[in-house]
Amino acid sequence: MVASRRKERIDRGVKARSDDLYALASWREMLYVAGPRLAPAALALALPLVLPPYWQKVLLSVCAYGLLAMSWGFLQAAGLISLGQALFFGVGAYLAGAAAHFWKWGPALTIPLGALGGAAVCTLILLPVLRLRGHYFAMVTLVLPLMLVRLIEATRILGGTEGITGIPSLPSGLGEPYLAVVVTLAVLFALRRLLASDHGLVLQAMRDNDRAVMRAGHNLYALKAQALFLAGLAGCFSGAFMTHAYMFVGMPAFALDYSIMPIAAGVVGGPGTVAGPALGALILVPLSEALRALGSLRIVFYGLFLVVFAVALPEGIFPFLVRKYQQRERWIEVDR
Amino acid sequence: MLQGVLVYGLVNSAVLVLLALGFGLTFGVAGISNFAHGSLYILAGYLAWACAHVLRLPSALGAAVAVAGSAAFGALLYRVALLRVRGQALSEVMVTFGVSLVILELFRFLGLVGFGYTLPAFVEGTVQIGETSLDVQRLLIVLLAAGLVGLLWLFTHHTRMGLAFRGIAQNEDTALSLGIDADRAATWSVAFGSGLAAVAALAVLPLGTIAPEGGYDVMLQALAVSIVGGLGSTVGIVLASVLIGFAQTLTATYLETHWMILVSLIAILVVLVVKPSGLLGRQKQLEERI
Amino acid sequence: MRSGMRLVAAAFLALAGIPQGTARAADPIVLGMPTSLGFLEGKEGLNGVTLAVEEINARGGVKVGKEKRLLKLEAIDTRCAEPGVPVSDVLLGHEKLILEKGAKFIVFGSFRSEAAIAAMDTVAKYKVPMVLGIAMAPTVQTKVKEDPARYKYTFRSCLNAQGLVKYLAGTMDFLKAQFGFDKVFVMHQDVAWARGTANGVVKSYFEPKGWKVTGVEAYPTGSSDFSSGLLKARAAGAQVILPVFDMPQSGILVKQWKSTKVPALLAGFISPLAGPGAWKTFEGKIDGAINVIFEVGNIASAKVPASAVFAAAYEKRWGAPLESGHAPAPGYESVHVLAEAIERAGTIEPDAVVAALEKTDRMGAMGRIRFAEDHQVPYGVDPAQEAVGAVIQWRAGKRVVVYPPALADAKIELPEGLKAAK
Repeated sequence: MVASRRKERIDRGVKARSDDLYALASWREMLYVAGPRLAPAALALALPLVLPPYWQKVLLSVCAYGLLAMSWGFLQAAGLISLGQALFFGVGAYLAGAAAHFWKWGPALTIPLGALGGAAVCTLILLPVLRLRGHYFAMVTLVLPLMLVRLIEATRILGGTEGITGIPSLPSGLGEPYLAVVVTLAVLFALRRLLASDHGLVLQAMRDNDRAVMRAGHNLYALKAQALFLAGLAGCFSGAFMTHAYMFVGMPAFALDYSIMPIAAGVVGGPGTVAGPALGALILVPLSEALRALGSLRIVFYGLFLVVFAVALPEGIFPFLVRKYQQRERWIEVDR
Repeated sequence: MLQGVLVYGLVNSAVLVLLALGFGLTFGVAGISNFAHGSLYILAGYLAWACAHVLRLPSALGAAVAVAGSAAFGALLYRVALLRVRGQALSEVMVTFGVSLVILELFRFLGLVGFGYTLPAFVEGTVQIGETSLDVQRLLIVLLAAGLVGLLWLFTHHTRMGLAFRGIAQNEDTALSLGIDADRAATWSVAFGSGLAAVAALAVLPLGTIAPEGGYDVMLQALAVSIVGGLGSTVGIVLASVLIGFAQTLTATYLETHWMILVSLIAILVVLVVKPSGLLGRQKQLEERI
Repeated sequence: MRSGMRLVAAAFLALAGIPQGTARAADPIVLGMPTSLGFLEGKEGLNGVTLAVEEINARGGVKVGKEKRLLKLEAIDTRCAEPGVPVSDVLLGHEKLILEKGAKFIVFGSFRSEAAIAAMDTVAKYKVPMVLGIAMAPTVQTKVKEDPARYKYTFRSCLNAQGLVKYLAGTMDFLKAQFGFDKVFVMHQDVAWARGTANGVVKSYFEPKGWKVTGVEAYPTGSSDFSSGLLKARAAGAQVILPVFDMPQSGILVKQWKSTKVPALLAGFISPLAGPGAWKTFEGKIDGAINVIFEVGNIASAKVPASAVFAAAYEKRWGAPLESGHAPAPGYESVHVLAEAIERAGTIEPDAVVAALEKTDRMGAMGRIRFAEDHQVPYGVDPAQEAVGAVIQWRAGKRVVVYPPALADAKIELPEGLKAAK
């Protein structure tokens, strides 16, 4: 008989009891459940007060990419792989920019217009291809932003290659960062709640087995359109917001970076979740700012991240952390 | 003028065939969309350039090194990374795309941009076809494309490995039961695809310069041709290359250069919406849409 | 790598609440240079700017009121020349320089005009004077003129598209008078400045002067096949092809021009043709091609003494001659102009420096440098009155200045195989 050891992982009691129904017995347990949710939110709300001016700008970037990444994660949870988040960003940005430039609307109107209108436009654009599955849908999303940008270049509409400048900025001070942070937290909360609801389970079932969802009597087409609209809302808001933050919109709004970064954030943070991609953006964007001195070498790092995480930690950081948080680990002797 | 359009349309089509052949082969056999295809093309270009300008090797040897190097890189990519995520479409795309970013942006960081970075033509000089002058390199590209397509057909229909490739492509489980090592075949197919990217680079790059941006462009063109023709179909690749090639040349001549890239993009979209498996693709309807 | 780590450290310090970038009296004045350092013009532009900073520091720095302060250059790679990079990312680079590095002035700026134009709003927001040295779109001036109170912080020392139109028109006039050419085919990159230049030459010169414009082709940035355009030029019987390109791939046009044997003179701007190394790169296949050097100084001219001094100093400091035909000389002069303005203003307070910059009058590497009302340095044909550019023709491995007349060393000659039309 050889004594040997293995690692035993046991779910913590409160996790076992409260996976979705919160029947909590003590303050400690409440804190255990609420802590990981409230602490990051509180931290995020405190950040605009303590960060120096330049890092406040980076915070805006984190929020913009974070929204795109959450939108990506949500789409992926619903079985729609998007390789072109730049579509949402660009449509939202152009809509808000055009409304501000041609109709002279203020940001209070253009940003909601950019988000809602943009989401509607994106959903309409993608409606004809909603029946496509897997790869094929992904290819369409990859191609669309590239095509729209060429279309603007060729037809010279909406400012052509020069773009639209002189768009009114958001009120300076704390309004700008708080708008970004609050919306990001709200989207994070709303999408997570949605995915945890019964309706969300149906959405996720589309990823796992779309035919079963159809057979259960759901209108797959309508569900996918709905998921697209919600994801578009987050993505287009990001575009509309950045348009006003930088007082400019132009062809780079459809830049490949807006497609790559959310995917990288999603893969690093945890694909198929909402909080994972947000966490990924929170890690990658400041990292990329810190690496700015390295020039284009930082894109090399994104590439490496993609490869390493896809191969070595395919579940992503967030699900990994959640697992570690909710499990007790210990070595036990086993007989053989 | 019309004659010129026909000649250059043909050349453009041949270039597209060269760019897409390797990508199509890898997808057809292993089912992997190798998004690193464009970066391997550029990698081969720089390899050949380095052989000629740094190591001062004769150009034929340099070409061999470039093709072998690119193929070896492809095989390594499959063994080290792709093997572990085989069958997960998203992860495959992430890994190959990530590798592509690493290669291309590394070259950009190294600052290897400029007009000095170009490959020599196989043969200098021009020929006169009617009223159109054509450089010999372009003529050779057409011949090379035709030759490679022929060789590929012979390879897949009359060699043991080629038949194994087709077996895997048609039905992996049955192929396995017949003793075909699927992983080995997939490794070879990625290596072959990468080698073909290098051949394309050696033939096409002398017309221009080696630039990291070119990698993304090549990737897009290869994708366009493969999607329109039908992923995994060699005849489809040729047909799609001719269609897109002539469409691009015609739009550039009679419309505007801007619409040239739009033509490929619109072609992709239309095909994806109407017949996702492409003109000659053999995917089953239920796998592509619901 | 070390600077990356320093940044991370700075970030932590900043997070811990330690104030950053609060300048003490004798601190150096920080100049920010956000640009694309991976591109030739960016690299050499940085060399030019660094040279100027070193020159000024070598003589003790800039006199601000009573004390002398050194200059400190902070360059940052914004990748702004690549069309795939978001403008917000480029602007974040500007903000990093201003907010974190404490840059009081921006020099050189973005490649792509849309990024440079968008940056005008950023520098207006932070009140940081900016002297552009590479972007060429005339929109910059339109904006300064439209809203001087807001955009007065933006200046430009390099040639703009309108100036380039003048040089191209002058060259074409020579070609017409000397050889009787009057059929032209225009090919340009589809970016703001090149489109502005091409359309400008067509509207303001070719059409009124009775030239026949046989076609105008626009190419998206990154295009690498020009055969259809060359076919068209040949079919239309063009005698002159006027290219306007600043992307590295545009050198391919020259190759294709040779291989398709279009019997037309190539006269315009193709960035890889500007530098002394081009003859070797193109294996001598560019004999007779005519190219614009946007600003004198990037090429030494005996008629502008300061340009020869700059070119020599550049080669001595960096061990190789200038290759780019655009940007390093204005980048170099931007620093000197700024330093002089600070000394005149006696302070680095932005509005005072802007007012002093407007009164600039300096004989520099590009000729006489002044700022017009729209904050653009006027370019003309007389180095004693204005800044100047130069038009060169490649002849037997040498660049020969052929225009403007005040600088010209020789007349334009037709390359072998081309015949005059009269």
